[in-house]
Amino acid sequence: MAATARVARGPALTPGGSAPAPPATGPVKRRGPWRTGLLLASPAIAVLALLFVAPLFMLVYNSFRTQAGDPTLDNYTRFLGDSFYRGVLWHTLWIGALTTLGCLVVGYPFAVYLRGRSPRARNYLSLVLLSPLLISMVTRAYGWLVLLGPKGPVADAFHAVGLDAPKMLYNDTAVVVGMVHVMLAYMVLPLMGSLDRIDPALTPAAKGLGAGGWTCFWRITVPLSLPGMLAGSLIVFSLTVSSFVTPAILGGPTVKLMPYFVYTEATSNLNWPYAAAIGFVLIVVTTVLTAGYARLLRGRGGKEVFA
Amino acid sequence: MRAATTGSGAAGKAADTPVGKPAATGVGGRAGRLLGAVFAALVGLFLMAPVLVTIASSLTTTSYVTFPPKGLTLHWYAELLNRPEFLDSFLISIGVAAGAAVVSTALGLAAGLAIHRYPFPGKSVLDRLFSSAFAVPTIVLGIGLLQWYAQLGMASSPLTLLLAHLVLTVPYTVRLVLAGLAGLDRSAELAAAGLGATAPRVFWHVTLPAVRGPMVAGAFFALITSFDDLTIALFVVTTDMQTLPVRIFNYLQYNYDPTVTAVGTVMVFFAAVVVVVIERVVGVAHLFGADPER
Repeated sequence: MAATARVARGPALTPGGSAPAPPATGPVKRRGPWRTGLLLASPAIAVLALLFVAPLFMLVYNSFRTQAGDPTLDNYTRFLGDSFYRGVLWHTLWIGALTTLGCLVVGYPFAVYLRGRSPRARNYLSLVLLSPLLISMVTRAYGWLVLLGPKGPVADAFHAVGLDAPKMLYNDTAVVVGMVHVMLAYMVLPLMGSLDRIDPALTPAAKGLGAGGWTCFWRITVPLSLPGMLAGSLIVFSLTVSSFVTPAILGGPTVKLMPYFVYTEATSNLNWPYAAAIGFVLIVVTTVLTAGYARLLRGRGGKEVFA
Repeated sequence: MRAATTGSGAAGKAADTPVGKPAATGVGGRAGRLLGAVFAALVGLFLMAPVLVTIASSLTTTSYVTFPPKGLTLHWYAELLNRPEFLDSFLISIGVAAGAAVVSTALGLAAGLAIHRYPFPGKSVLDRLFSSAFAVPTIVLGIGLLQWYAQLGMASSPLTLLLAHLVLTVPYTVRLVLAGLAGLDRSAELAAAGLGATAPRVFWHVTLPAVRGPMVAGAFFALITSFDDLTIALFVVTTDMQTLPVRIFNYLQYNYDPTVTAVGTVMVFFAAVVVVVIERVVGVAHLFGADPER
């Protein structure tokens, strides 16, 4: 116990009990911070241990069992040995890549536009950007069902110009449109952060040296906003490959993605071990991909984003 | 690239561009700015469209969802009142969400204080766990919890759902409280204590005001996250205890009538109130942080 007194550094304030202890006070008070910290953190620790760590261990444990509970590798060999399931994995990553690209194409010009606006205008536009995040996923997906449906306004627009409306629902298009809508803010926010850090004197300086608007844009703005672009892509990609609600509603059973299979295996087929294995594969694949990507970033100016 | 130098209208010549804000990104000029405004408006439309469509089509007199709505009626809202199952689900959702908000705010405050200012064993592990809780797919968490609850023999109830939601919300409240504490100058607390304030008084008058904004934001965020959660609820709920998102999700599998858009509209208004409150208190952007770190 005497050793614990050494852990406490300097005066600390305990909300519940002792006043900030000047260094001269006895060992009883100097042991306080250590205990107080643990006491304060213990409910959160309990939540994480019982409702996060334990369920994930349970999941991994079960993924190596048969439904009867015997140890097996079958769930993994079944998944990785079946070209259909490997296809599901590739398709999930493909949708993630398309969504990331879509967010960049829509989000980058939007972030650049925001940079030049007044703080007031920026505030309103940020609110528009962020408010969908706080509106029910199910409601938003339903809105897209109406918009992209065969009798929806988008189809009407096609007909108005004399074209046949393509099928826009229950396919990849619907899922990517819906996902870009959900994820756009996660792309634009890091981009804005990155753009804001660019020294505002650089552009006038380049112009003074004879560079034109587009040259400045391509040679100053784009390279210096790369960290934001890469960070945003990382977030959008990893959130997209693990989302369930939007793909389930807009893609239906025809767009086969990993989270959907976790859900159907668990609730329709009641094959929990197999669902667990699919879920674990999803975690491993996304962790490896995003960790590799983050590593790649560190070498190219991504430092300030991930520091 | 060189060829495009004189690209966007008048922005070509250095002399035309005043040193200052508009040219900050390089692309400027009247044409460029107009183009930017049109693009931003389109993005805004894209962002708002599904919500506007949901609200509008809840007013249609037809028995199927259509946009633009045909005629105007509040029939589907009245219909909602005739469906006790939606009301029940709403009550379950709001109860669980309120519980999750209260509990995760308290836990977030306690854990935030602990991490920010006390040394204790396992602190770095805890910190890391909080950040990894963001990264785990909710669907995987859902099935993990399903199996874990089954293992423990815990029957599904509003309480088990609330506990499950804490995993989603506590990391946020902790992070927000930490951000609030980081902005607090410790010398203010020391000064108050030095002038004779007792520890509880210092906490109440100096420390708490610094984290009050983030705490309110965290509470509302927890409220809306829990209220909106479908992925975890799908695994935890039973047929006689369905939250509103689960009810809508299941209803959508077999129906396509405007009742659902009416429910959706109610949820949108609920969310709008929450957004306005958060915006007033801390600003929505702070919730997500301009630099999401994962």
